[in-house]
Amino acid sequence: MTVAAADPAAAAAEAAQPRRRRSGYGRYAGVKVLGALGSLLFMLVVNFFLFRVLPGDPARTLGRGRLSTPEQLEEFNRTYGLDQGLGEQFLTFLKNTLQGDLGYSILYHKNVSDILVERLWPTLLLVGGSTVLAAVIGIWLGIRAGWDRSSRFDRFTTGGSLTLYSMPEWWLGLLLIAAFAVGIGPLPGIFPTGGLHSVDVDPTSLQGVLDTLWHLVLPVTTLTLAYLADYALIMRSSLIDELRSDYLTTARAKGLRDARVRDKHAVPNALLPTTTVVSLNFGFVVAGAITVETVFSIPGLGLLTTEALAVPDYWLLQGIFMLSSATVIAANLGANLLYGWLDPRVRT
Amino acid sequence: MRTRRNRRTSLVAAGALLLAGLAPGLMAQSSPAQAADDDVTLTVAMLNDADSLNPFVGIEVTSYEMWALMYDYLITYSTKDLSIEPSLATSWETSDDGLTWTFDITDEATWSDGEPLTAADIAFTYNRIIDGGPEAATWGSYLGQVTEVTAPDDTTLVLTLKKPNSSLPLLPIPIVPEHIWKDIEEKDVKTYLNEPDGGTPPVGSGPFRLVEGSAGGSTYVFEQNPDYWQGASNLDRVVFRVYKSQDPMIQALIKGEVDFVDGINALQVKSLEGQEGITATNGNAPSFNEIAFNTGAIDLKTGEPMGDGNPAVQDQAFRHALGYAIDTEELLEKVYQGAGVAGSVIIPPAFTTWRWEPPADEAYTYDPEKAGELLDEAGYTMGDDGLRTMPDGSPIGTLRLAARSESPTSLNTMNFFQEWLADIGIEGEVVSMESNKLTNVILDGDFDAFEWGWYVDPDPTSMLSYMTTDQLGSWSDTWYSNPEYDALFEAQQVEMDQDARAEMVHEMQQILYEDAPYLVTAYDTIGEAFRSDRFACLVPQPDPGGVWLFQSGIYNYLNMQTAENADECAGEANATQASSPAENDDSMNTWVLVAIGVVFLAMLAGGGVMLARKRATEADRE
Repeated sequence: MTVAAADPAAAAAEAAQPRRRRSGYGRYAGVKVLGALGSLLFMLVVNFFLFRVLPGDPARTLGRGRLSTPEQLEEFNRTYGLDQGLGEQFLTFLKNTLQGDLGYSILYHKNVSDILVERLWPTLLLVGGSTVLAAVIGIWLGIRAGWDRSSRFDRFTTGGSLTLYSMPEWWLGLLLIAAFAVGIGPLPGIFPTGGLHSVDVDPTSLQGVLDTLWHLVLPVTTLTLAYLADYALIMRSSLIDELRSDYLTTARAKGLRDARVRDKHAVPNALLPTTTVVSLNFGFVVAGAITVETVFSIPGLGLLTTEALAVPDYWLLQGIFMLSSATVIAANLGANLLYGWLDPRVRT
Repeated sequence: MRTRRNRRTSLVAAGALLLAGLAPGLMAQSSPAQAADDDVTLTVAMLNDADSLNPFVGIEVTSYEMWALMYDYLITYSTKDLSIEPSLATSWETSDDGLTWTFDITDEATWSDGEPLTAADIAFTYNRIIDGGPEAATWGSYLGQVTEVTAPDDTTLVLTLKKPNSSLPLLPIPIVPEHIWKDIEEKDVKTYLNEPDGGTPPVGSGPFRLVEGSAGGSTYVFEQNPDYWQGASNLDRVVFRVYKSQDPMIQALIKGEVDFVDGINALQVKSLEGQEGITATNGNAPSFNEIAFNTGAIDLKTGEPMGDGNPAVQDQAFRHALGYAIDTEELLEKVYQGAGVAGSVIIPPAFTTWRWEPPADEAYTYDPEKAGELLDEAGYTMGDDGLRTMPDGSPIGTLRLAARSESPTSLNTMNFFQEWLADIGIEGEVVSMESNKLTNVILDGDFDAFEWGWYVDPDPTSMLSYMTTDQLGSWSDTWYSNPEYDALFEAQQVEMDQDARAEMVHEMQQILYEDAPYLVTAYDTIGEAFRSDRFACLVPQPDPGGVWLFQSGIYNYLNMQTAENADECAGEANATQASSPAENDDSMNTWVLVAIGVVFLAMLAGGGVMLARKRATEADRE
């Protein structure tokens, strides 16, 4: 827009267009998409070199007890292209990545893309599910708490969500396992202690899907409780900011019920900051939740990262980081586009 | 903005889904108990996944255990002391010059697709390894000196060697079917998964068949081979479940979700020992942990000294004196929680044939005064500042004691070592690093001492080889080099008389004990526990005192019994007995579940009523 405004002719032409607003959004969106593509390219470069400076030598680590002769070490390095120069390796990497080939995992002896797909679903279910739940419940709690500031409900919600927020996730998870998976006293242990599905159930059948949901109850609860404060507190404070606004007085003067003033007038205006947090957090969904995945033995991307780091399995790490940075960039882009659409002021 | 009504509907939908979710959960909960009547499933919980189900690719212990269920081997191991016992090979003989080995092969084994397993399959597998390439990476060392393997007929296998190899017939190599693997080219071996394809297991001959599971997966399901040539297992199914942390795994055992847990620590074993229906043990593993020294790293191309190792630890007399400064009993009690055996030589106690026991006048005892005297004799006298000096009077400096950051045992051991060194006037500093980094530091010679450990094969050759000059820059982690030791190593490799060979192996251990590139701290244990109210007749390996699963060989998968049939193993002295079942409150579970369901329904109904009323008032208003 600033560029367009600098050229009076173009600005005039645009002003003459009856659909000026849409074309302005198109330009805004175009700039944002280009920016995202730039970040993506930069990420690729960082991604490659970052893992090459990690300490450790995969041939030596994986070999302990196996690769005994220098010839075998050479063979290993040749197989994985580690004998080439760094520059040469980088060019090969760029070429393969553009062709959709993410390489071959030294740790699991499979294509990185296959492993990523395998591990993506558990993480999406776990972290995605908890993000949605935490956002919905958190926003709901935040609205109630902010609207009745300093009420008993507010104090209870704020105190409670902050307590859960400051608890280590793994500890909360272990407590839930002890209480609801094993059972304490009169509490029955009805939930499984870990994993994603029972052995006898075909995961693709309806029963399998329900079984997986059953396994996800405790881990999703853990993460939801931990994430809750994020949304509840932001929602609460942005609603409090709106409380004294004139338009609310107007709404009340019209004789609207309190709940209606809140839901139809105050909340829509207070929702923007929360929208940002929600969409940004969605970007981090694929990064996984290492601690909760560990405690509940869920084979997700978070665990995969720790496993790959131990070797280090360059190709697998590259794939994971590429996937998660691409998601973060995409989520940022999504947030930007959504913002530009929700609030025309940010387009200039 | 969505309207209130929509939101409430979606809540009802979510509630219905959750309620529906209760049903399969209930079924899944009760199914193991039901299955126990007609179907015996052993569920094993462990901390590592299989890195590959292809026996030419994987290197993890877990993978080895799974191949052992899927495939047969030429030989197996006794539970008593891991000595070699017949398996596919029913008997064998060696020519007088030790250059020809002839094995008689059973004619009873068959592949899971119905083809017979013959000596030709074994020859095929071995020849692929001898040919080199990826197949040789894991198994090549076992076929050292073997130039050719032939199968003159279906039940005879002949190995031809260029030099005698005293480790034979130690051939723990899974035999793969020729009719399947001949179509897999050498360049494709690395990427061949060998995993079940839509429920069809990979073709194998072992007592179990892998029907579900994948490298890096979290569940592996093995079904019994009912026609197994050595007799079908008493287990219908073996399921491996991968847990990523220990505590939930132990909770799963207490709850009964799994029957067996492997890889728990000594404290957890202690806590499980009191539990009803559970038997736990710290099984002696064929492994040792040691404090190792940089005995003098050299650049292999030039032969010049390399790295920055402290000159003091390069002196045999210095290291030998430190042997008296380490209190292995205290380490065992404080660091290993009393589980294990105090360390001495590099061959663990289980291998009675090969192990050398240091005689009383030579054994390291914890004796700081004697350590001090020996150091004085060697010239490392006490300086004015209370610290010992080098023989030339210069300060020794601070010894860097490297511990592996991922192992609490390693850190604790080095902390104790630092204190013991201080007691005799030597400064040390514990540095903690990842084992990856430590490997590099060792190979670069930039270290003074570190703590680590080894697993030891039933045959001593591989362990002894790590201390030879040939292994510098490769498997040697101390840069130890001793021509006398190297000569004995060569000699024992070709000595076909076991007694004569054992004598050489003993002598080698004595040399290492005195030269002290390693000061062995402890023979470690692996914690295992299982539901003894469901299973019985597990025999430890080594017997007594060993582990129940993840042994060498698969004795217990074939011979363990359900608790009801526990009397069938009465002959085995150290087999586990059945214990009375733990209290089961299944009825309680169901009752509470019903209550939760009722409360949930009530909430839904209440919500529905409220919703209806709200809508009514809103309609009034508008």
